[in-house]
Amino acid sequence: MSDAPAAKELTETVRPESLGTITDDGPRSARQTRRPKSRIMKSKTREAIAAYVFLIPWILGMILLTLGPMLYSLYLSFTQYDLLSDPRWVGLQNYTRMFTADPRYLKSVAVTLVYVAISVPLLLIVSMLLALLLNRNMKFLTGYRALFYLPSLMGASVAIAALWRLVFGAQGLVNQALAIFGIEHGSWVGNPDDALTTIITLTLWVFGSTMIIFLAGLRQIPKELHEAATMDGAGAIRRFISVTIPLMTPLIFFNTLMGTIHAFQSFTGAYVVSGGTGGPADSTLFYTLYLYQRGFAQLDMGYASAMAWVLLAVLAAFSAFFFWTARFWVHYGDER
Amino acid sequence: MKLQRATFLAGATAAALLLSACGGGTGANSGPAADVPGADGKGEVKGDIAAAWWGGTSRIELTNKVIDMFIAENPGVTVDRQSADFAKYFDKLNVQAASKDLPCVVQLQGRQINDYTKRNVLLPLDPMVESGAIDIADIPKAVVDAGRGTDGKLYFLPYGAAYDAVGVNTTLAEQAGVGTLSEGYDWPEFISYLSKAQEKMPDGVNASNNGGGRPNYFIGWTQANGKKLFNDEGKLGFEKSDLTEYWKMWEDLRQKGVTVTPQQSSEEPTAPDQSYLAHGQVMSDTLPGNAFTPASKTLSGAAPGQALTTLPYPSGPSGSGNALYPSGFAVSANCQNIPTAAAFINYFTNDLEAGKTFASDNGAATNTKVLDAQIADPSMSATKKHELETYKKIVSEDPPTIVFPAGYQSVFENSFKRAYEEVAFGRMSVDQAADKFFDEANAKLGQ
Repeated sequence: MSDAPAAKELTETVRPESLGTITDDGPRSARQTRRPKSRIMKSKTREAIAAYVFLIPWILGMILLTLGPMLYSLYLSFTQYDLLSDPRWVGLQNYTRMFTADPRYLKSVAVTLVYVAISVPLLLIVSMLLALLLNRNMKFLTGYRALFYLPSLMGASVAIAALWRLVFGAQGLVNQALAIFGIEHGSWVGNPDDALTTIITLTLWVFGSTMIIFLAGLRQIPKELHEAATMDGAGAIRRFISVTIPLMTPLIFFNTLMGTIHAFQSFTGAYVVSGGTGGPADSTLFYTLYLYQRGFAQLDMGYASAMAWVLLAVLAAFSAFFFWTARFWVHYGDER
Repeated sequence: MKLQRATFLAGATAAALLLSACGGGTGANSGPAADVPGADGKGEVKGDIAAAWWGGTSRIELTNKVIDMFIAENPGVTVDRQSADFAKYFDKLNVQAASKDLPCVVQLQGRQINDYTKRNVLLPLDPMVESGAIDIADIPKAVVDAGRGTDGKLYFLPYGAAYDAVGVNTTLAEQAGVGTLSEGYDWPEFISYLSKAQEKMPDGVNASNNGGGRPNYFIGWTQANGKKLFNDEGKLGFEKSDLTEYWKMWEDLRQKGVTVTPQQSSEEPTAPDQSYLAHGQVMSDTLPGNAFTPASKTLSGAAPGQALTTLPYPSGPSGSGNALYPSGFAVSANCQNIPTAAAFINYFTNDLEAGKTFASDNGAATNTKVLDAQIADPSMSATKKHELETYKKIVSEDPPTIVFPAGYQSVFENSFKRAYEEVAFGRMSVDQAADKFFDEANAKLGQ
């Protein structure tokens, strides 16, 4: 899908060059007079060839590094493959086993769904509130914006995730802070009821890019609309609900979609915080973490491939459904 | 445009097919051929080899020193060094093995060896032993046998033999007035010792870490009680009732507050020298024998004035509960420089100077001459000597060699810990957890 505009752009860039080549190439005027139509065709073909030559690195990368391995993993998902010996064809066995004979798989699905359902809306709300906060005239505004973006640069890193173990540990910062208020709480990361919460908190740190997108959107809202609404007696909350939100729906749509896809694929936080186990008691066994365990620790690459394809199918279905709902609630401004 | 798209698609499909063909090719395995030139390890020792091992900072440092010495003795040899943390090490090896890119020399243990022997990615060392390229004369036979796969061939040469010990904080034990455990103590004695000690433990200190989720403690318990860990097919060889008995023993202690809480268990750092025992937060725990020195060092910093000791595992009706866990180097089937790989293994395992430098960092030196030289060495620390002497004592009792089936480490150990975790957190009954463990383990073990 994305290769079409890129190709067009490139074609345009190379046009002068390819024309030059043709000019040097032979008696141009003679050709032009003899067969003008075929000359145009030929030049078009040449342009296309030049475009593809320039595209080769990208196309090769796409085929060799993305498409090829993907198709191969589709094949592997129908096999039993232990990485070290030949894959053995088993048909749909991996897929049926997932849903009928693997409680840990279902557990990982449940954990991931809970994580997505909680972390995505929270992330959107936090980013939106901060964007609203930063969308006003005050001193050092750009400085604040940079500051608020800072956690996003670090939050996704392994170092912060490792730090999380300490922050939410039994003797960690959070418990020390709670102790001031006389609240006693055991370890957060060590307790299956709280461990997922700590990872969600970790995710919320990475609100930066979502916030920036919202902020850009807020800047685009014409002031007149707010002024008109104020004239009609609308308060701040009314204006937010009736003016800001409708105009922001394309961005809310985009951020929800991207956020959900990311959340389904989330791995690092759970891997580091649980030390790669998904524990305690499988409470942070994210889908991708279980996939990793099956593929690389238990040498079950066929099964892991099948899991990856189920995830892809679910994400594709979700995206399609979400795009379909967009017609009912996303306003692109050019309607009516 | 249409034509071009079609061409593009055709090209893409062709490339994809090519790729999958390649992929299929890498999986193809002709198996190690014993008759390839150099398979007996004879030949010129020069050129490149890659060597991989696991370990923390000190292990990396010591291994590098020995490699430097090996290079100095063999001009023209270079060694590409690859090391990783224990848990991550095997994930990396699996990927390398899949792409036929294993380092020539790979450090392994009996706990993982059959994951690889089953898939023919290692060379048998027997031809190299027969040709004299690798010398095993000074290594006890029982220890050498720990390097054999389920097919009886030797796949890695143990250079260091670790054992599990019960680590006890003697300072805390004396304060609690329970003293030391008697020679040849058994499990019931051990349990009552812990319960008694708990009554006088300082606030926030437990008499024991929770052993319910510790596969090594369980192995020790099965050995002492004459249970079979695995059957001939590599499936579980003990009964569900054995497991529930073992778990109930620990659950009882946990409910009485003798052990730490499950929250604490799941939060404990995995490195033995960072454990609760090493920080003076529990009085006793299972401890790899070779972790005694680093754990003592941590304790002297974390709780000055306190001291540790290690004891052999509790005994039972069937004798001592100790087993040996040797580590050693194997040669990968894709190795192109077998003579140098064999020379390296031989040097690392048998050379007196190499042994002195490595100082039994990964279990007691298996070569008895190397071991005796270390015990006699006056510069060896007292804690290290205690490790080596405990090892000698354990070996003299002729400990069993456990043959671990394929999948032991990735399936048995992880399932075991998880299933007990469910019990400790009160999410499953002991019986339910045992069912879960048996299902998970038997589904994958030995395959």
